[in-house]
Amino acid sequence: MTVRSGKTVLFFIGLTLWAAQPVLAAEGKTLQIDGSTTVGPLGDAFAEVFKELHPDVSITVKKTGSGDGAAALIDGRCDIAMMSRFMKDKEFQQAVEKGVFPVAHVIAMDGVCVVVHPSNPITELRTEQIRDIYMGKITNWKELGGPDIPIVPVSRDTSSGTYESFHSLVMHNEKMAANVEYVNSNPQAHARVRSTPGAIGYVGIGFLDRYVKALKVDGVMPTRSTISKGIYPISRPLFLFTNGYPKLGSIIHAFCTFYLTEKGQEIIEAKGFVPVTEY
Amino acid sequence: MTTAGSQSDAAVQFTRPLRLTFRDDLSSTLLSWFVKSFLFAVTFCSVAAVFLIFVFVIRQAAPFFAESGISPRERITEFFTSRRWFPEHQVHPEYGILAIIAGSFYVTITSLLIAVPTGLLAAVFLSDIASFRIRQICKPLIEILAAIPSVAYGVFAVMVAAPWLQKKFEFPTGTNALNASIILSIMAMPTIISVAEDALTAVGREIREASYGLGATRAETLLRVVIPAAHSGILAAVILGMMRAVGETMVVWMASGNATQIPSPWWDLSQSVRTMTATIAGELGEVPQGTIHFHSLFAIGLVLLIFTFCLNLLSEHFIMQMKKPKR
Amino acid sequence: MILWRQIKNALFTALCSGSVLFLAATLMIFLLPMLWKGSQAVFFRKTVEFDKMQMELFKRGRPEDLERIIARTNAARQEALALLEHFSRGIDTALLSKEVKAAYQQFGRHLRYLEVSNDEYARLREQAKDIRDAFLQALETTDKTEAESLLDTVDAQRTNPRFQNSPFEVVFSLSEQYRQILEEMDLSRRSEYAAELDIVKTEMRKLFGPLPGESIPPLPQDRFGATRWDTAQKHLQYLIYQTKWVPSGKDDNRLIPRQIRRDDPDEGIFGKTELAPLFSMVEQNLAAMLQPRPTFYWRYFLDDSTAGHYFGGVGPEVLGTLLLTVLSMCFAVPLGVLSAAYLVEYAADGITTRIIRTCINTLAGVPSIVYGLFGLAFFVLLAGKPSILSASLTLGLLVLPVIIRASEEAIRAVPQSYKEASLALGAGKFRTFLTVTLPAAGPGILTGIILSLSRAAGETAPILFAGAVALGPIPDIGLHLQWLFQPTRALSYGCYDITVGDRLAMQVPHNQFGMVMTLILLVLLLNSAAIVLRWRMSKKMQGL
Repeated sequence: MTVRSGKTVLFFIGLTLWAAQPVLAAEGKTLQIDGSTTVGPLGDAFAEVFKELHPDVSITVKKTGSGDGAAALIDGRCDIAMMSRFMKDKEFQQAVEKGVFPVAHVIAMDGVCVVVHPSNPITELRTEQIRDIYMGKITNWKELGGPDIPIVPVSRDTSSGTYESFHSLVMHNEKMAANVEYVNSNPQAHARVRSTPGAIGYVGIGFLDRYVKALKVDGVMPTRSTISKGIYPISRPLFLFTNGYPKLGSIIHAFCTFYLTEKGQEIIEAKGFVPVTEY
Repeated sequence: MTTAGSQSDAAVQFTRPLRLTFRDDLSSTLLSWFVKSFLFAVTFCSVAAVFLIFVFVIRQAAPFFAESGISPRERITEFFTSRRWFPEHQVHPEYGILAIIAGSFYVTITSLLIAVPTGLLAAVFLSDIASFRIRQICKPLIEILAAIPSVAYGVFAVMVAAPWLQKKFEFPTGTNALNASIILSIMAMPTIISVAEDALTAVGREIREASYGLGATRAETLLRVVIPAAHSGILAAVILGMMRAVGETMVVWMASGNATQIPSPWWDLSQSVRTMTATIAGELGEVPQGTIHFHSLFAIGLVLLIFTFCLNLLSEHFIMQMKKPKR
Repeated sequence: MILWRQIKNALFTALCSGSVLFLAATLMIFLLPMLWKGSQAVFFRKTVEFDKMQMELFKRGRPEDLERIIARTNAARQEALALLEHFSRGIDTALLSKEVKAAYQQFGRHLRYLEVSNDEYARLREQAKDIRDAFLQALETTDKTEAESLLDTVDAQRTNPRFQNSPFEVVFSLSEQYRQILEEMDLSRRSEYAAELDIVKTEMRKLFGPLPGESIPPLPQDRFGATRWDTAQKHLQYLIYQTKWVPSGKDDNRLIPRQIRRDDPDEGIFGKTELAPLFSMVEQNLAAMLQPRPTFYWRYFLDDSTAGHYFGGVGPEVLGTLLLTVLSMCFAVPLGVLSAAYLVEYAADGITTRIIRTCINTLAGVPSIVYGLFGLAFFVLLAGKPSILSASLTLGLLVLPVIIRASEEAIRAVPQSYKEASLALGAGKFRTFLTVTLPAAGPGILTGIILSLSRAAGETAPILFAGAVALGPIPDIGLHLQWLFQPTRALSYGCYDITVGDRLAMQVPHNQFGMVMTLILLVLLLNSAAIVLRWRMSKKMQGL
């Protein structure tokens, strides 16, 4: 009976593998892209269009944070690192020590938008107020003229590039309070703010939609023009880092310059980011 | 007799004498020795695996404690007594996991508070009150509860339980210690139930019959005689449930909010907490290898490993006590 | 006195039964919503957009049937789309500005091949650029007189010989078009309308796909309208109703949402414009425009998915999980069964055996995240990068204690008489084990294997760092073994990623629940197989 059931199990496994045939991809060149969850949707979208243009290249996109992208590039585990911040000194030094010379390609501009639940009547905040909220000095919305509910500050985890931008441009490198909730990605931050009336969080501009309300920061609303001109206080470029400048005509080069094509620009706009150029 | 003898001559024919030669004896002895050592080596792999796990985790955790420029004693003191966990800060990183340990503690104890009474009552039901048929139905039920993957529970906690908790009880946030505890208690219950049931059945019929013979009701027998007699097994069940709750990652990562704080006031479970497992899972994927932050995560893993190892030894002690023959 | 004791007894019994009922209820509360919502990914009402998507992305369906249905829906949509286009011609100048910019670019190219001196070339380009900028500004402004004066400067260059018979000529016909529009429209309200019109157009695109005249979008999720009837209903609501957050009137200083119909004659923003009939038109004829029919998308379990799991199914994840679990079994089963053999047959009751048992129990108790840490520290550092091999080795280590325990139990349950009979016939100890005990313990061991298969399939933490990715190529299984060193998708990690990691996935909750449902179904299937096996075994044992 054991042998028979064993054979049945093997048969089913074989059947599954056979049925999965049309779904299996062909072998070919590989492109490994690791890094930021902010740039991640762009990387995904580029990868998908790329698959149609270059069907023999298999592209893997891993979104675990800018820090990990840098580390992967330094270790040689990936070909392209997506980062929503520039490389830190330590990372640069480590890279050079290991013989990796990082080259940055700016593919789009992004703004870190401070968002609240739409039921919150507050429409704008100053940078100092946001800092005080995240440092725990302001704990209830009524202190800012809002309803009497406790503030639930939501932050990205500390390895995120979005967190870094927020930390340096808004927090001025002060440490956050203990009651700040940490989430691991932009969509999670968006989901938290969307479902919690007292929440305040920050997401990339590509994640704004009808379920959350973006606040004016220091009187400036995050829009395409204010971000691309740098008027919005928390705007930053989005990078792709490679090891040295990629060889002209290679897959990596095509991927890194894809943002210059019209299709690339359309994708960047479709994802809600701000293109670097006007085309 | 003669006819039988001639028949037996034809029926049984041996190709060689029944006595073993020296070579046969030696070769089979060697073979069996070889087989035994091979099997021992294979079994020893488990020991080797445990050893390797400890070694590699300690190896990666050691650089955290031995960083040049900071004395290990200072490091360890900060590690276990400070509530501030800011490992990525450029200028002044802090590595205090007191709040994180407290978070694990909160979530585990609360889930046990829910799971142990319920589990114990269910184990009593299964061992003493249910008929054979009902037990046949309940056992698969418990097994299915145990088999559901933790990530499925996590998705449930985030997408169904959290909004409901937020709406129903007007909590400021639905991902908090209470949410995680409730789901963890559901996950720990099958372990508690099965071990406790084993313990209760191991008590044996004589003790029960003696109690019934003295005129006690079923409740009195169970409460005053059987459960105390099975106390070591039940303690083992509780400890195993605790191990399950402490070691669970996905549910707490998704449902507990991950705020590095000790709730204030201390009994307010509607606040968000962070556990050791969630810290490791959440930060390890993004930390460059070889940094102090990387090693500090392994240090947290080491704390977790040592804690569960001690719990394991304790539970084994209790299980052995349970399995000892009763007077 | 006695009554009180009886009451206590009854109460206790009730409590005990209650707790089991509570458990059963908990299981139902958990399983039913997940399975119900997950089944929406497989059983739903599809629309014509779904057929289009299947045709284009997966090459399925008969083209003739599709053509027929598309013709029918186009006929139903025509009026609404024409209304939208006519209205937006005046408000939404994106198309016009695009054409102007394209004309300028083509003129630039045209100039390059023209035989002119460098000065003339620069001058012509400058002129063309001025005209273009003036036109674009005319398109942006809300002041009618300003627009007209800008158009005049454009038209002043109409007679320039260099611009005639060149690609730039089209600019002048565009300016004519624009003048006509200016006469018909009230420019001052344009910015107000523009924002809302943008939303209306987005919702129409989400319902019906790219509007006529637009280019094919690069991303697949924008190329089709609402593929499911329930999504279509949702977007219909977004189309018709505008949500305004207004003060609640109570003194709690909060805002509450108010739904206003966009074609409401008093308050709706398009109430008094000629776009108003669009909304009721779409509302009443949506079924004709989308042709919903119920469907059973069983290929969900086999199909690959587009980015973010927006379209498609969980095929690669299922394959990844199967690969990982089967491979981990290949490592764990021989080790486990042989270890169990040693423990039952050969082990003496000494300290060595105690240590071995303690270690096996320790392995069973190690938290899964520490396995992940170990997997990262040991296997990944060995192999260099996360791969299927390292992930399945980690998983194999995780389930090893389960297999050892189950095998030990099964082997012990084999009656002594079997062993003694075999030994009496002259077989050696190991040979007895291989030929007699192991087959007899087979069903028990198989049960243990199936249970650990289900455990390995559901574990996420060990493979988080050791081999799982969210988006990656499907391993190309072949004899060359290259696929062992690639990372893979898996159901357990996919469930986590799709719930908290992915933005697109948030827009398709049915896919989120679908993946969880697939995982739960897989685990339930394996567990039910184990339960059935054990039941049959116990019946056989009873019959013995």
